[in-house]
Amino acid sequence: MERQAWALVDGPAMAPSHASMQTRGSDVIVVGGGLVGAAIAHGLRGEGLDTVLLDEGDIAFRASRGNFGLVWVQSKGFGAPWYQRWTRGSAGEWPGLAADLAARTGIDTALQQPGGVHLCLSEQEFEDRGRRMAQMQVEAGNFGLEYRMIRRDELAEMLPGLGPSVVGASWSPYDGHASPLALLQALHRAFTEAGGAYVPNAKVTGGTAAPNDFRVETAAGTFAAPRIVLAAGLGNADLAPVFGLNTPVRPQRGQILVTERARTVLPMPCTTIRQTGEGTIMLGDSMEEVGFDTRQSPPVMAQVAQRAALSFPWIAELNIVRAWSALRVMAPDGLPIYDQSERFPGAFTANCHSGVTLAGAHARLLAPMIARGVLDPVLDPFSAKRFDVPRAA
Amino acid sequence: MTDRPDLAIVGAGPAGLAAATEAAARGLSVTLLDERAAPGGIVYHAVTRSPLGGTTVLDADYRRGTGLVEAFRSSGSTYCPNASVWAVDRDGSIGVTIDGQARWLRPRRVLLATGCMERSLPFPGWTLPGVMTAGAGQILLKDSGAIPDGPVVLAGTGPLLLLVAVQYLRAGARIAAVADLTPPGAWQRGLPHLAGAFGCLPLLRKGLSMMAELRRSDVRRIPGVTGLRAIGTDRLEAVEVRQGERAERIPAGVLLVHAGVVPNIVLTRMLRLPHRWDPRQRCWRPDADAFGATGLDAIAVAGDGARILGAEAAVHAGRLAALDAAHRLDVLDRAERDRHAAPEQAAIERHAGLRSLLDAMYPPPDGLAFLDDDTTICRCEDITAADIRAAIADGCRDPNQVKAVTRCAMGPCQGRQCGQTLARIVADATGQTEEDVMPPRARPPLRRLTIGDLAALETESTP
Repeated sequence: MERQAWALVDGPAMAPSHASMQTRGSDVIVVGGGLVGAAIAHGLRGEGLDTVLLDEGDIAFRASRGNFGLVWVQSKGFGAPWYQRWTRGSAGEWPGLAADLAARTGIDTALQQPGGVHLCLSEQEFEDRGRRMAQMQVEAGNFGLEYRMIRRDELAEMLPGLGPSVVGASWSPYDGHASPLALLQALHRAFTEAGGAYVPNAKVTGGTAAPNDFRVETAAGTFAAPRIVLAAGLGNADLAPVFGLNTPVRPQRGQILVTERARTVLPMPCTTIRQTGEGTIMLGDSMEEVGFDTRQSPPVMAQVAQRAALSFPWIAELNIVRAWSALRVMAPDGLPIYDQSERFPGAFTANCHSGVTLAGAHARLLAPMIARGVLDPVLDPFSAKRFDVPRAA
Repeated sequence: MTDRPDLAIVGAGPAGLAAATEAAARGLSVTLLDERAAPGGIVYHAVTRSPLGGTTVLDADYRRGTGLVEAFRSSGSTYCPNASVWAVDRDGSIGVTIDGQARWLRPRRVLLATGCMERSLPFPGWTLPGVMTAGAGQILLKDSGAIPDGPVVLAGTGPLLLLVAVQYLRAGARIAAVADLTPPGAWQRGLPHLAGAFGCLPLLRKGLSMMAELRRSDVRRIPGVTGLRAIGTDRLEAVEVRQGERAERIPAGVLLVHAGVVPNIVLTRMLRLPHRWDPRQRCWRPDADAFGATGLDAIAVAGDGARILGAEAAVHAGRLAALDAAHRLDVLDRAERDRHAAPEQAAIERHAGLRSLLDAMYPPPDGLAFLDDDTTICRCEDITAADIRAAIADGCRDPNQVKAVTRCAMGPCQGRQCGQTLARIVADATGQTEEDVMPPRARPPLRRLTIGDLAALETESTP
């Protein structure tokens, strides 16, 4: 049987003492304690599996802590109806997930799904948006896609203090938002309280891979299991190949501003503007290809602020409390990647830039598949094999 | 004002003023940004216009600040008061609001001369109105000559506490007690460092005479204090002072607390510069060479923001940084820089000698020693020590994780106040040392900035 030993280049060479150190065995190892890994680990524990969740130290890029917090459906999956369905399915699982987490941990993830709007600041934007939504409805086929293009006058009655520059919006009933930080904390607490083993400061540095037989070395010890799930975000790019998987993810920077608490109440989230449960307004989110650079760039922040002030002039009066940036985990086509290794069955990978939106699917749909050992055919289009297709010359 | 000066300096305290004067003399175009309305920083606050300026309440050292300010004013530097710096980028760009207009400056080099701040020492009741730092109490005195009506208790350790006590005394305040947090045996600890401090004889003399002045007055001194509690419903009514097992309640309208000073590292933390732990001063400071050069090419640090050595040393450090800026901008060759640097470096060495004595005599208190579980740690977000410990029990191993879970250090001050205490609690609860745990990251904006200000950001403006 094929068995491969490996060490990551930047990890320490495997010390001989490691071999004699005690190995912690379990049913499954999840690599990555962010939103994706924690949701899957929580789901696997719920399936009754002895689950070990390995997390990095605080030097990790931590997309989960920079998340904007939308549970967003409309406009996701343009040209890829399977992604549209997966996203909508996740939004549908969210109320159950939120209730489950609240019951287990007492943590309110602040989920609200009142529908959401994408604001258009010009006729051109409005037309483009209308065409895009219509096309997605066609692609949805029998599955359907409910949406409306709403003109300014009607929109002004839905949203207080709408700016004169807004010409209209697309609206869908599926959209909502939640607190990413509360979600991350709730997933971790639910997982550990259900008996899951959370191991911090356990960056994977090496190990061995064989079909349904995996061993990983970390600074926090050695772990072995017949199944392993790679959910290490941008770390998956390096980790996946040694498990016979391919996850060509790259960082894409997003910058977010958060204001002081506002008196005005926004009844629903917009694509780039949402009001948190605490009353603060979050503004985002830029998309910049700047590599592993998590600095803030004021000219980009200024654009985010300009657009927000045009959309809702009252937002201009609010003090900014914090600005930060985080790195999205982006595949070449922007869609998630889910795979099981053919070379080393039992090794799975999960990658996406929508750790909040997809938390419902990850905990309640994907985890049971991994527990069964087989990914459903609905996930076939998400395989990284899609990148292997030779490009037409 | 040009958006692209050779050198932009943040902070108009002794280091910033001296650096601007020196750099301008070397031919650099200099812009000095300062959040205050008048130059002088904290130590020479309102030096040119204090109502007490001509009296004996404030001393000659304080009035020395006027000389610094005058030299700066005639140096040809551009001076921007009321300028709040809300971001500095790693390439040296600066986000600043001046007279309500947000701007994005792109100087060739930046000197951060943001000085020191008082060490935060949370204890039960410290957020009650009527409790403030000794430094804040001193600023009230310098600004307006105001002294409180009711009895004043001073508590803490170190030279500034002594200075403020003497200044309050001279101004006619009613000092009910000075609660000394200094562990007994200050002079025995200081003795081995005494000879090294003789280079700063005038300052040494000043300290001794202040001690004598306080002793001659009938102010009550409570030595060996191990615990503090501020008591009151809406505002301070009394201070509970503990000496081991013994506790005493002293009625007070104002409590001035001082636990030494630490570098204000909020900007260097935001820049993610490497920092090192200073075990003797029990604080973090940015890693910098003798000229204040940091790990980032465009950015240097000087003064107490780089290393606590006091106001006079900061003047010399400011000049060193200016010389280095002139060298790096090719107006001063290396040999010239080093020749002019030598006397400044010698002066800094003398002050380092005095600092060793002070550090030995007044070791900073452990941030953990005075708080209990209900003590507020993060004032902006109202987070207690128990909240932080609960997050650690939940699996957090690092201040940034605790911040994400509890919101501690997420408020407007960006951890300036609570960062070090948060790190201390994390170190304690996770079995690490203070040296292992850095305060959490700071995020812009570091000063008030509205969405509208940012939307109107000027990124390129005509000179």
